[in-house]
Amino acid sequence: MASDMNKTTKVGIISCSGEELAVGTISRSAVRRVLEVLRPHDAVTLCLPLLLAGNEGERNFARTHPTITIDGCDKLCARFGTEKHGGPVACSLVVPEILGDRATSCSRSLRDWSQADEQAVAIVADRIAAEIDALMGTTTPRLSSTPTRRISEVET
Amino acid sequence: MTEEREKVLVIPCSGVGKVHGLLSREAAYLVVDELASDETQVVCLALLVKGDEETLATVRSRPCIAIDGCGKACAQKNIEIAGGEVAEALQVGRFLTRHRGARPGDGSALSDEGWAICREIAEDVVTAANRGRSGEGAS
Repeated sequence: MASDMNKTTKVGIISCSGEELAVGTISRSAVRRVLEVLRPHDAVTLCLPLLLAGNEGERNFARTHPTITIDGCDKLCARFGTEKHGGPVACSLVVPEILGDRATSCSRSLRDWSQADEQAVAIVADRIAAEIDALMGTTTPRLSSTPTRRISEVET
Repeated sequence: MTEEREKVLVIPCSGVGKVHGLLSREAAYLVVDELASDETQVVCLALLVKGDEETLATVRSRPCIAIDGCGKACAQKNIEIAGGEVAEALQVGRFLTRHRGARPGDGSALSDEGWAICREIAEDVVTAANRGRSGEGAS
């Protein structure tokens, strides 16, 4: 199983490229938040087009480390591409399944970024971080996305 | 209103790790949402690389503009591999070299300088799209 490959090293995250869709932007932004803030020492990102196009560095990492794919739509490019070229994925996430109706109010450009986008990113990022913790075997409470707390406080 | 079949396709980089990918995508959105919304359309690079039939057919039938973040030129190369015609291939790095010392932001957000560079890229895309639609350098 992929999660047994390298328990003490890093998890590879492959995000939807999804340039056509707002959920693609949410997916990439959530990955950035995980890498910069939530789990900077536990994860790296792999470039999906490079992986699909045959870059050996990306493919080799995917073959030898657990991977999490985050897809924006039901075409599941990240998951199927990773499985084809890098082996089974440890976890497959689909943004609309995580966000439900929230996904419809998101923007694809940062120019139009709103609180709804921030909240969506925080929710997806927290989910990715939780999956990383599970793969790394971490049981102690760790950092979750601060904007989630801030926004939920505003809402209440 | 421009017919859907006449729209020029804009295909940006998908890179997440650096500011280059974000600049390419935001430039693409600026073009298709604001500067030339009736004449252009953005396409997912991963769908093209994956070989999605509908995307392949679209790319083969219209002029394409690639906005690549780095020298690996994934967008340009994959348009060519798919049998599409690259009306223009832009690289974000070339725009950044015109702004030595600039701090455009990072992979998550653009600074004011970054947005200005983004607009420069977008304006070049619009120029290329107009050429592509008039048949210069594109089928």
